[in-house]
Amino acid sequence: MSKWQQQIRAWIGRYFDLPSDVMLDLPRITTIGSIHVYIENHTGLLHFSDTEVRIQYKKGQVRILGKDLGVKMMLKEELLLEGELKSVEFFPDSKGGST
Amino acid sequence: MRNQHDFLQGIMTVEAEGTLIEPFLQACTRHGCHISNLKRVDNNKVVFTIRLKDWAILRRLRKKYRCRLSIKDGKGIPFIFQHLLKRVSLLVAFLAAVAVIFLLANTLWSIKVEGLTPELEADVESKLNSYGVSPGKLTIGMKDPNEIQQNLLDDIPDLLWIGVKKQGTSYHLYGVEKTRYDTDVNDRPSNLVAAKKGMVVETFIKKGRPVVSVHDVVKKGQVLATGQLVEEGESFVHSEGEVIAETWYRVEQTLPMKQVLILTDGTMEKEYQIQVGKVHFPVWGWWRAEEEGVREEQHDSKWSVFGVQSPVYMKTVNYYSIDPKAYESSKKEIKELGLTSARNSLIQELDQEAEIKEEKVLHLDEENGKVKLILLYKVYENIAETKYFSQGD
Repeated sequence: MSKWQQQIRAWIGRYFDLPSDVMLDLPRITTIGSIHVYIENHTGLLHFSDTEVRIQYKKGQVRILGKDLGVKMMLKEELLLEGELKSVEFFPDSKGGST
Repeated sequence: MRNQHDFLQGIMTVEAEGTLIEPFLQACTRHGCHISNLKRVDNNKVVFTIRLKDWAILRRLRKKYRCRLSIKDGKGIPFIFQHLLKRVSLLVAFLAAVAVIFLLANTLWSIKVEGLTPELEADVESKLNSYGVSPGKLTIGMKDPNEIQQNLLDDIPDLLWIGVKKQGTSYHLYGVEKTRYDTDVNDRPSNLVAAKKGMVVETFIKKGRPVVSVHDVVKKGQVLATGQLVEEGESFVHSEGEVIAETWYRVEQTLPMKQVLILTDGTMEKEYQIQVGKVHFPVWGWWRAEEEGVREEQHDSKWSVFGVQSPVYMKTVNYYSIDPKAYESSKKEIKELGLTSARNSLIQELDQEAEIKEEKVLHLDEENGKVKLILLYKVYENIAETKYFSQGD
């Protein structure tokens, strides 16, 4: 059911040329160089430390690695990280990312 | 802009401790918290900043997530205000300062009276005092300047007009005095006679008949102008006028040639005493009282509180060390000295209008260390003196 719904959504998104983050409930991650990360449309902060931040979104997790990370601002669905970024990794649920 | 808004509402730095920090923070944001500047301090300890109004949400949620919260710092107007309220003394001092400023600003500090003679000025001031208008009084509840003006005009008949103006903490009064013309004319018949011996230089007789002319030498008591207008006539008037005459003054002076001056050389020692009634206690420097060759000067500093003099006061005695010096002056210097001192004392003795015309040294002699000086002064002065006819005539 959800698989089918997912396909419909993707199709509508492509057909009407809508931004995929709105249609597909995916996080929009904007980075400014390697100093700022701006994450929208996330569903939760899972882990937070100086070197690693893990964020939950609808269908998986994002892992951000870096140095001296800090949360500049945290709102309901937005997160602004700052620090020295190293990498942004995705662990979608379908591939078996941990919850 | 947002920062200023936050500052007005108050922001606080909070430390959270616990194992479920991330879910706790997530729950907070879900309830509408704005979390910023989140930093991890420890494995299970973070520090972050929230708005003051979010604190209630945090407190509500902390039980559920078993977090221990502690406030680190508070910024913004609400915290400053709270801080001020805590310092009661500061608040009291602030209020007291406001009250004092208010009182001082509403106190009358000075009264200035202009345009009046000193007697009338004193009169005006005493009247003002009786209305309760005097320096040091509060202007609150004081009469209106216009009312004061009216009262003054009513109470002091000599005032033609007075303007009362309030300028800040002082009253400015501009007065105009009624000029009174002396109406009681003196018409008792009289003569003008010479007050002293002299040679007439100028006569100006307003009323009466002059009987002397210029260059006449008159003796003391001689008639200068008579009130009898016609010789052997019956009409008599009050004679008035001025007769300027040349008069002579002889001044004799004996001045010593040697003078001992006592000079202080500037070194000064102080002694302090406390005076209680008639008894005084030495405080400092009492050992100098026995010294020789010093000049004493006493100063009392009297303390008065609200016009009542305190019986206890400080007495300062200054000891100036003195140095007597003998000066020997020459004959010429003595002469100069004698001339100026004689002239000055003569000027004091004479009328203001009198004029010293000539100064002559008649005699200058030195004997036994003293200078004898005889001077002659020629003076132009008014010698006219009113002398009424005796009733018998």
